[in-house]
Amino acid sequence: MKRYDDPELQDIADKLTDPDPGIRRVAVLALVDSGEPEAAELLIQALKDDDAAVRQEAAKVVDEFDAEDIADSLLAALSDGDEVVRNAAAHALADLKDPNVAPPLLAALERSDDPFVVAGILRALKPLRVVAAQTPALQRLSDEDARVRREAVGVLGWLKAEENLPALIDRAKCDADPEVRRAAAGSLVYAARERVGPPLVTILGDPHWQVRCEAAIGIGKLDYQAGLESLIVASRDATWQVREKAAEAMGKLRVVAAVPALGECARDPMSNLRKAAIGALGAIAEPECRPFIELALDDPDPDVRKLARWAQSQLDNAA
Amino acid sequence: MNVSNIPVIDTDVLVIGGGTAGPMAAVTAKEQDPSLKVMLLEKANVKRSGAISMGMDGLNNAIVPGHSTPEQYVKEITIANDGIVHQPALMAYAQRSFPMIEKLDSWGVHFQKDETGDYDMKKVHHLGTYVLPMPEGHNVKKILYRRLRRNRVQIENRYQATRLLKDADGRIAGMVGVNTRTAEPIIIRAKAVIMATGAAGRIGLPTSGYLFGTYENPANNGDGHAMAYHVGADLANLECFQINPLLKDYNGPACAYVTGPLGGFTANSQGERFIECDYWSGQMMLEFFKELEGGNGPVFLKLDHLAEETIQEIETVLHTNERPSRGRFHDGRETNYRQNMVEMHISEVGFCSGHSASGVWVDETGATTVPGLFGAGDMASVAHAYMLGAFVYGQICGESAAAFAKERDLPALDEAFIAAELERIQAPLKVADGIPPSQMEYKVRRLVNDYLQPPKVTKKMEIGLQRILAVRDDLHLLQATDPHELLRALEVHSIIDCAEMAARASLYRTESRWGLYHYRVDCPEQNDADWFCHTRLYKDENGNMAHGKRPVAPYIVELGEEKDAYQKLRVQKAANA
Amino acid sequence: MPTATQRTSVPVIVDEDKCIADKGCTVCIDVCPLDVLWINPATGKAHMRYDECWYCMPCEADCPTDAVKVEIPYLLR
Repeated sequence: MKRYDDPELQDIADKLTDPDPGIRRVAVLALVDSGEPEAAELLIQALKDDDAAVRQEAAKVVDEFDAEDIADSLLAALSDGDEVVRNAAAHALADLKDPNVAPPLLAALERSDDPFVVAGILRALKPLRVVAAQTPALQRLSDEDARVRREAVGVLGWLKAEENLPALIDRAKCDADPEVRRAAAGSLVYAARERVGPPLVTILGDPHWQVRCEAAIGIGKLDYQAGLESLIVASRDATWQVREKAAEAMGKLRVVAAVPALGECARDPMSNLRKAAIGALGAIAEPECRPFIELALDDPDPDVRKLARWAQSQLDNAA
Repeated sequence: MNVSNIPVIDTDVLVIGGGTAGPMAAVTAKEQDPSLKVMLLEKANVKRSGAISMGMDGLNNAIVPGHSTPEQYVKEITIANDGIVHQPALMAYAQRSFPMIEKLDSWGVHFQKDETGDYDMKKVHHLGTYVLPMPEGHNVKKILYRRLRRNRVQIENRYQATRLLKDADGRIAGMVGVNTRTAEPIIIRAKAVIMATGAAGRIGLPTSGYLFGTYENPANNGDGHAMAYHVGADLANLECFQINPLLKDYNGPACAYVTGPLGGFTANSQGERFIECDYWSGQMMLEFFKELEGGNGPVFLKLDHLAEETIQEIETVLHTNERPSRGRFHDGRETNYRQNMVEMHISEVGFCSGHSASGVWVDETGATTVPGLFGAGDMASVAHAYMLGAFVYGQICGESAAAFAKERDLPALDEAFIAAELERIQAPLKVADGIPPSQMEYKVRRLVNDYLQPPKVTKKMEIGLQRILAVRDDLHLLQATDPHELLRALEVHSIIDCAEMAARASLYRTESRWGLYHYRVDCPEQNDADWFCHTRLYKDENGNMAHGKRPVAPYIVELGEEKDAYQKLRVQKAANA
Repeated sequence: MPTATQRTSVPVIVDEDKCIADKGCTVCIDVCPLDVLWINPATGKAHMRYDECWYCMPCEADCPTDAVKVEIPYLLR
């Protein structure tokens, strides 16, 4: 067995071979306090321990180590029989910021079928932004498991590549899972407004309110002027959160044609929506906005009144 | 070498406090020069110490390109602090804030990003956009600990620093302290010292009567403020108390920056908003206080209008980060965000630059007025710094201290001073039939509540000061029966120092400023002619607590029309209760 | 002055069947920012020795065997 120069590390190494799994478990905890780089290899050893509780303990502390030192073991741990181990490995992998670990991640992705493992690898690949992840991510967009599709959308969104738009638009419009649709809709904002504006307008009619919110946010972010009519419709949505995002988006478009709809929103019983509406009217700052803004100076909600005072000064400055 | 038969530990850079700013300072000093000996001393254990022991749920002062500018931020903080700020220090923070986010991101700290990987900034304030959520921010301490180990910083846990040392030239020379589990003293000689000891959060008393149920981590009891005072450093604006809105009785933050972007808000008993002030400030707290005491009180956190999905998101963030036991607190009272508003209150008073503007004076290099002594985080005077400010000033101090340490030799130690200090810190163990630390602590903190808590009344503060001094006279009766009680006893020394400083600083500034933080009922007006300045509190050559004024450095960012815009967002005059 | 001791209900509860302090584990004791958890010499297990809790939860979160439970202190409940 290997000997270590550091006496504390040697002590841990000895305990890691103790027949009592309880002692081995406590030894794993002590690894965290070692400043020795070789502690990582003992952690790897613990990740392969026969006892599931020891492996779990090792997996729980993997995020105390620099993941590049232990990437291979983490990948192996992704297929551990124990969910705690798999989960910890996936999370630690997701913290990898080193593009050099992309090839082993991609290789592991290729041989994995377990949805949990696949989702974990995709989550780890996302922040690396490697082009080689594009093809496998596109394939996984049609996975049966929604968690996998959601992470695949994440990988593609972060890549910000033009050629992935058709697939992302398709997921945003048609996926069975609302969270996948929401994530895909949110990813579209990296593209040109002419390209993704029309699909975002369609998505504004999604059955799930959070997806509709995401579409409204996107139209505003992209300043997609042709989306105005659909935003006006959305400003009368049954869910106030959608009305709020639509009002904010109209403020970003800064067009007078939005003023009547925003005026309606400014009388909504939900104060959060009145805030959004007055904020948008202040951003537009055209004379047509003035009556609504002046009315809001006496709003019962102080946030609305504050914004109305600000909006009034915007109008005065513009005049 | 030995002093009083105790071996002296030598280091180049000593960092006191291993919470947020301290680890960053220690890592930075090592990054500057790996050959430097850098020691990090912590009263608890670096793994889980300080204000963010369980992580943090968001940044509320992130200056991210495309969302806000350093100039805009400096203006807004200047206005929120009624003009009394050191703008160069704010600017240094503002310019380094984004590179620090990038650095923390590369270390593995999780900031919220949108579906394309860009930072998911949220607009909460009316002018700039500064909020960056961290729904998975629970691993911050783990990441710092990893960096400390990787950079081979020497960590000494469970040591309480009690006094700083100076050499004959008045430069910093190290510290004396004590092990909290064995009561063994420690003497460290250092070329440069960085203090990162956190807020003074154990001056006031939570109304529950539970000494440790404070807003701040109760380990942050003002040891650093006291040590800085005794070594002769300037403290600034101590009358600008920290008072925060919080969940009543639980005493943890309500986290408006988590719930705000999701549609939650602070409401009165009618379920309506009432806060006029835009930025977190004493003005906001004054409005809060008025509503709390008024006919529409008390005050609540209102979330019951939000969608189920949103409430689940809020619960996940709030019940896993920063103060995760709040979920358990709500369960115990059968409070459900879906049906119930959550009762709020205001915190006990304290010193915390993170939320207000008081603390040990530091400039834009992190330097205090004692050469070689630097300060970062909640104990240093950079206004509204919060967690990201602690990281940035930890970094600045790490750089400054490394440079200072490289320019000098190991200092000579004042052996007589050390001997006297060793006697002071062992004294409570030698007292028989004395006063337990908890009783003396309760007494002085109760006096702070009764006499110093705003609204401040001159005569009451004078009585309070006399009564605090009377407790100080009892210190020779303070008894510790074991090393743990000695830790508490020595903390009581710091708490009494801080209480006296709070009283004297509040009496010195004869005007009202910063809303509730320094609302003096008998001097209700803001008086710029006499008091547009920082106040200094320091130990004079006779060992007495003295005061002075420090001019506000010329602004590097003029306020211009933002000031007008801000005035439009604020109530014109605080209608004092 | 003479002193007396006063009973107090403490918020941190350790399940002695699950606690592995007797195998050398000191996680909860290490992480407590207020140093209120100690080994009980009678049992070899961790216990709360000083009623000075901030109910901050690292002891519970970091316990490898889920032996520690942090209640809200009675005065705050």
